[in-house]
Amino acid sequence: MTLAADSALPRARRRWSPLTRYRRSLWLLTTRDLKVRYSTSALGYLWSILDPLVMSAIYWFVFTLVFDRPVGEKPYIVFLLAGLLPWMWFTGAVSDSTRAFTKEAKLIRSTTIPRTIWVARLVLSKGIEFVASIPVLLVFVVFAGATLHLEAAWWVLAIVLQAALTLGIGLLVAPLVVFFRDLERAVKLVLRFLFYASPIIYGLGDLPEWARFWGMFNPLAGIFSLYRSAFFPGQLDWLAVGISAAMSLVLLAVGFLVYRASIRRVLKEI
Amino acid sequence: MAEGAIIVEKLGIRFKRNRSARRNFKDLFAGRERRRRPAEFWPLRDVSFTVTPGEAIGVVGRNGQGKSTLLKLVAQVMLPDEGRVIVDGGVAPLIEITGGFVNDLSVRDNVTLTAGLHGMTSKEIAERFDEIIAFAELEDFVDTPYKHLSSGMKVRLAFSVISRLEEPIILVDEVLAVGDAAFKAKCYQRIEELLAGGRTLFFVSHSEKDLLRFCTRGLYLDKGRLVLDAPIREVVDRYRADYGVGGA
Repeated sequence: MTLAADSALPRARRRWSPLTRYRRSLWLLTTRDLKVRYSTSALGYLWSILDPLVMSAIYWFVFTLVFDRPVGEKPYIVFLLAGLLPWMWFTGAVSDSTRAFTKEAKLIRSTTIPRTIWVARLVLSKGIEFVASIPVLLVFVVFAGATLHLEAAWWVLAIVLQAALTLGIGLLVAPLVVFFRDLERAVKLVLRFLFYASPIIYGLGDLPEWARFWGMFNPLAGIFSLYRSAFFPGQLDWLAVGISAAMSLVLLAVGFLVYRASIRRVLKEI
Repeated sequence: MAEGAIIVEKLGIRFKRNRSARRNFKDLFAGRERRRRPAEFWPLRDVSFTVTPGEAIGVVGRNGQGKSTLLKLVAQVMLPDEGRVIVDGGVAPLIEITGGFVNDLSVRDNVTLTAGLHGMTSKEIAERFDEIIAFAELEDFVDTPYKHLSSGMKVRLAFSVISRLEEPIILVDEVLAVGDAAFKAKCYQRIEELLAGGRTLFFVSHSEKDLLRFCTRGLYLDKGRLVLDAPIREVVDRYRADYGVGGA
């Protein structure tokens, strides 16, 4: 081989602005995640919506055919999916973030991209799957005969709040799991508890009076009420939304601080 | 500061001797002094040096004396507890090079991903793709899933991608121990080309022959300190005198 002078000379480097670099790397890793998921199984997209659909079918059966106890609103399947689909985003991203550093340890040890990306990409790729599942919800809206109200515009706010909340929790959980391995199990347990403690199979209004106030302090309550208001305007509860927004921002700030304080040690441990 | 220059100032990093040392939540919030425990040690401490662009530096020392740690700190994939590292320009780290590749994706997707994460634009990747594949001798495997490559092929692909990054600084950490003789020779030739092109090289090796071949200056690390910073010949001789061992 001859000395390839032109390829061996360091040419003038383009310097990415930090924001461009962040966006580019985040996008590369997010598309990688989605590509891996969809290239390893032919039914990729189907799998990601099958889980909430099967769960919805179960709850729909239990609450409309077995028990005759009125929860939520009719059509119940739409009510259920409007809570369950965003829940899948939240729970998927949070439980994946327990492995954000350990699973990608080798890659993290060899690249210098901004390290919040390791969590942010999980929030983004699960978020994209959530957005991709919206058409399924719309199919049910049409066939179950629900009406779409102008409140659907609040979905944008709901998605922004949920992204902030999920990122905050992810940034908190991901580094701590590196130091406290049993936290991975604890998170799974808390998520399972949170599923029933959040207004998913029921609405905030179905809670007894004393529990309703405390229920609002679950930041998911306000966010889910925004999603649901698109089909059931009565579900919108601005006090709950306000509390959700405040808590999401606080958790995001705490997440960043914990992440910043611990990243040095995380890099040594992984 | 010129592109390709590195300044290392009073660098120190601390590790726990006992990895299973019990940790509790209290530690995270305790002050720096309280966090310092007796079971800690410093793989590197008080290391200072300056590298001018185009220098080729060999890092010498026995196992566990902080050579790889130093490289990781220069690559900024690890952050120091004391002092600082200032690097002007990007770094092409030939450290844990196969780490970034994804088993389930094809060779093509992996090249795009890794090169992209290291800062190449899609246009540059497209331009150099054939060159990268040709160097790795993987023309027939472009669409093969990465997991089906042999371990030698994996190293070839990784070296090929990272060495085409066009970064002004290259870090090499004994990656070349793997791979067959023919490919090794090719890698060495590539490193020489890069050096001729004015790159700054950081080279960790136990092979006296390789050190003398590529490097002009040596850093001798012992017990976490920088013991000697001198021309490579002098450093190699001193190392041999201290430990009575020759190169491979």
